[in-house]
Amino acid sequence: MTKKSKINKGSFLDPFKAIRFLWKKPKTLRYPFEPKEPALRCRGFHLNDWDKCTGCGNCADICPNEAITMVEIPELKSKPEEGIKNERPKLDYGRCCFCGLCIDICPPGSLRLSRDYFHIHFKTDTFSFIPKDEKSDKENFLPAEKYSVLKASLTHRKKDYEGFASDLKYSLFEPEQVPMPHVKPEERKLSFIEQVIGYNKEEAKKEASRCLECKLCEEACPAHLKISDYILAIYEDKPQESLKKIFEDNPIPSICGRICMKHCEEACSLSIRGEAVAVRWLKRYVADTIKDYKTTLELEPARPSGKKVAVIGAGPGGLSVAYFLRLKGHEVTVFDSLPGGGGMVRIGPPLYRLPIEAIDKDVNHIASMGVEFKFNTTVGKDILFENIMKDYNAVYLGIGTTLSRSTKVKNAEKCLLALNFLQENKIGKEEKVGKEIIVIGGGNVAMDVAREALRLQHMQYPDQEVITKTVSLEDWDIMPAKKDEIEEAKEEGIQFNPAWGPKEVVLDEKGNVKGLLCMKVKSVFDEQGKFAPSFHEDKEMFLGGDMIIEAIGQATDFSFIPKELFEKFEFTERRKVKVDGNGQTSISKVFAGGDIVNLNLDAVTAIADAKIAAEGIDKHLSS
Amino acid sequence: MISALKKELESAFKNIQIVIPEDNRLTITAPKDTVLTILSFLKDKGYDHLALISCTDWIEEKEFELVYIINSYGEKISIILKSRISRENPQFITTIPVFENAEPYEREIHELYGINFEGHPRLTPLFLEREYEIPPFRKDFDTRKYVEEFFDEIPFVEENK
Amino acid sequence: MRELELYFGPQHLGMVGNFSITLKVEGDRILEATANPGYLHRGFEKLMELRTWIQNFPLVCRINVVEPDHMEMVYAMAVEKLANIEVPERAHYVRSVYLELARVGSHLFGLWAYANMLGFDTVANWAMYHHDLVLDLFEELTGGRVYHIYIWPGGVRRDFPEGFKDKIVNTLHSIGGCVPDYDATFFNNPLFYERTKDVGKIARDEAKRLGAVGQVLRATGMKFDIRKVEPYAAYNNVDWDVPTREDGDVYSRLWVIRDEMIESVHMIFKLLDKMPSGDVYNRVPNPFKWNIPKGEAYVRTESSRGELGLYMVSNGEDKPYRVHFRTPSYTHGLIILEKLLKNASIADVGNIMISLYVVAPEIDR
Repeated sequence: MTKKSKINKGSFLDPFKAIRFLWKKPKTLRYPFEPKEPALRCRGFHLNDWDKCTGCGNCADICPNEAITMVEIPELKSKPEEGIKNERPKLDYGRCCFCGLCIDICPPGSLRLSRDYFHIHFKTDTFSFIPKDEKSDKENFLPAEKYSVLKASLTHRKKDYEGFASDLKYSLFEPEQVPMPHVKPEERKLSFIEQVIGYNKEEAKKEASRCLECKLCEEACPAHLKISDYILAIYEDKPQESLKKIFEDNPIPSICGRICMKHCEEACSLSIRGEAVAVRWLKRYVADTIKDYKTTLELEPARPSGKKVAVIGAGPGGLSVAYFLRLKGHEVTVFDSLPGGGGMVRIGPPLYRLPIEAIDKDVNHIASMGVEFKFNTTVGKDILFENIMKDYNAVYLGIGTTLSRSTKVKNAEKCLLALNFLQENKIGKEEKVGKEIIVIGGGNVAMDVAREALRLQHMQYPDQEVITKTVSLEDWDIMPAKKDEIEEAKEEGIQFNPAWGPKEVVLDEKGNVKGLLCMKVKSVFDEQGKFAPSFHEDKEMFLGGDMIIEAIGQATDFSFIPKELFEKFEFTERRKVKVDGNGQTSISKVFAGGDIVNLNLDAVTAIADAKIAAEGIDKHLSS
Repeated sequence: MISALKKELESAFKNIQIVIPEDNRLTITAPKDTVLTILSFLKDKGYDHLALISCTDWIEEKEFELVYIINSYGEKISIILKSRISRENPQFITTIPVFENAEPYEREIHELYGINFEGHPRLTPLFLEREYEIPPFRKDFDTRKYVEEFFDEIPFVEENK
Repeated sequence: MRELELYFGPQHLGMVGNFSITLKVEGDRILEATANPGYLHRGFEKLMELRTWIQNFPLVCRINVVEPDHMEMVYAMAVEKLANIEVPERAHYVRSVYLELARVGSHLFGLWAYANMLGFDTVANWAMYHHDLVLDLFEELTGGRVYHIYIWPGGVRRDFPEGFKDKIVNTLHSIGGCVPDYDATFFNNPLFYERTKDVGKIARDEAKRLGAVGQVLRATGMKFDIRKVEPYAAYNNVDWDVPTREDGDVYSRLWVIRDEMIESVHMIFKLLDKMPSGDVYNRVPNPFKWNIPKGEAYVRTESSRGELGLYMVSNGEDKPYRVHFRTPSYTHGLIILEKLLKNASIADVGNIMISLYVVAPEIDR
């Protein structure tokens, strides 16, 4: 303002206008008889819901004053495969500044702040406590009638008095995954093109930046890969570092990056209120970005030890044990009856999920370390097991389950078996398929068979009406196949018939397959939980079809082992080979791992068994 | 406006680098003996408010970097003037003849970093209450070690129950 | 007469905050004054170099106890400048309303301190009561009464709760309705005029030479406000004026404070009318894995005391490399105070110091 402002000196009587306040009610609250209600978002003492809390420890990592430590509670149980630890946070109120950062980063949203804020006590050690909740702690949380402000403390709190809570829109972690580009269903069902396109560099960095480094995934992984370290290396744009970290525990990243069962993502703390970090796709990004593993890793085998090891089966277990033993300096030979490496992984998963080039990249790298591969060699026919036991210092059995089971209903010999069908299509000559195919089974192998059959139908009968149907004993809620496999199969148009069991294969006059007669399932498991299906024999349904494939499970082929040796083998009650803590069977020179030992039946557990067996073989050979 | 100023500075002084990171900031990097002349040049041009004198410890390059931030009372341009001195036996000259309110800033930097300003009338302690072996804001001063050595070990609080 | 050395120490009825002045007096006249800061030095700038970007944000507001909000704002602005983060439109308006409420609260607190020191206890208690009403509004919005921890890089922490706009309007109407009482009892009081006219006078040239900012400069007739010179948040979208006075003494400074409070209240009503709808937060990367590229930045805002600035250097890591706050009480409390106290009387020490609006935690950090 440029004009001079008015200065009012004021009159002597003006301040006496304030006398009228003598007759007004005072504004001071007579605490504690007139208490003031805190606001709905007040930041007071902590509350923790022990049912939702997983013990991940993110609150302890972010606290700027180091006020939270995680303590182990012996009464609780750890469940690593679901991502639950038996630790809970403990707070020190001498250090806490009530900022609420721990609330904003808690992934399950179990930690909240309440509206209590009073605690007065003579002893200082009452200021450090483990927060609970009114659900699990009935004596310290009182309803409004029994609560008194004069006695308020950490052990005398009000029920239903929640304050600042977590909100997913304003959280410090990102709940949504970077979407992985897929080929669309209309295009992908016409050929065997690989369905998943893969992340590029920016998408991989963005996905890697979501990881909170709580390490719950490392305990859930059967092979205990160092997951948060290799994701950090991807975020810092160093794929070579990342590959070195992966290879410490898993020598087949290109295969696992496409077909692993991702136990880690089930346990990821972000998956509770959002989507897990895409660990499998990030591993695939690293394996695809680095063209030549050997020059990046720069690892050489140790000095030759002079011992020879035979590995039967070039599946994930066999390949891993060959790699780890070769690094220790032993001479390794791998026998397999297929024309290339990979074992069940080579014939099982269809080409749209795992192309042959990806398998060969890993197998060629292991061969370049000095491992000798003898393909098209069936032990028991081309070479005898007794000779192997004589010539080699130790033997590892990674033979897997290669025989398909059959339903054995009437005329079942007219049906195809799943593994034969998949193997012929992948590495043999293409099967001629019918226009209406029925697949019996509800597991992952049945999904693979059905989706492969659908593609072959579209390729062999273009522009004609074709259909693939599945029939399974299990209903939707207990169907053993993975949820995303079932979703993708539905998108491609496969017709499902759950809770029907096969009764009889119906043939026409010429003896060709006409259809399948089914009966309604009453229950699949009996009271003890054993597999014992029961049916309503009177409720029947006829499904028409000109080709039936059975995909109901597999068994192991032990025929190459001579009878005297086979009787010395010990089996567990679930009919798996019994091994000790070093992977050694009851026969001294023979070690085993993979599908014949464990119950998970996937690749990464086979790699875990192989790592244990490699240490065991090394100890056995040096003693 | 700002590019005209840049041209004038470049023609008047050699050996300086000028960067314009955005439309109302100018950053000048100058050797240490020209700092006073540049400051008086800017003051004559109308930039007569010294906002801040700060110091950064680049321990790997073994240098201290003194930063002068100058504003003008009418425009929104801020000028940042930076100059480096060595970390062993750091010495500099005071800027009180040009800007009178530089006195407490230099006193604070002397106390917390150990830089000696020649010509300053009173380099007495400002904030700290005792002597330290290494001036405390340098990067090689370890705060956790200091707490453990100086204060008695406080026992960790145990839980009640 | 002899010279005597008096300690106007950290515990004193006329002092606000932990700050001490050593006086050399002769009778009632002060010959020389030396300021002794340092009772509240907590070493924030060193502590902030050891914590990540998001972990620093509960520390920043504790630097200035009376008005923590502008500290959070200037830290968030510096991080957003270094990391190139965009803030949504509604968040700018919410931040402006929040900062103006903070300004009203801080001026009421200053009025309490000044009236208490002079002896006007009635007005002091009224000011404290209205300050408490503003703190109730903050508790409703953010969850804490004094340390709010609300503005962070990317926006603000939560949106307005239900019915909050009406609450703000009602509270401000009840405060504004008391302005005639304040004027009658305090600002137009002849005792106030006698105590403050021509005391602690500073001319415009000398103020500019000594580096004054804020009300000290606006009371000498110069219209200088960072919200007009370098606008930030939503200040460009409403029209408002900068109040000034000409004389440069304590009387003018307090009248400038009163005019600014009324201007802030009008500004809040205009901003609430214009506020758009939408998001208030753009999510920033994961706090454990957030590296900001190399660079430096100097940002400034207008707090209730003057120009508040922050100089920040980043080295490409997940922690800041150097953080330095330029607080307005630094020049006012250490240079201008010593000049103005020469030849003043002992009774005027508190008068001059509190009218310069010196807050001790801001000097020491």
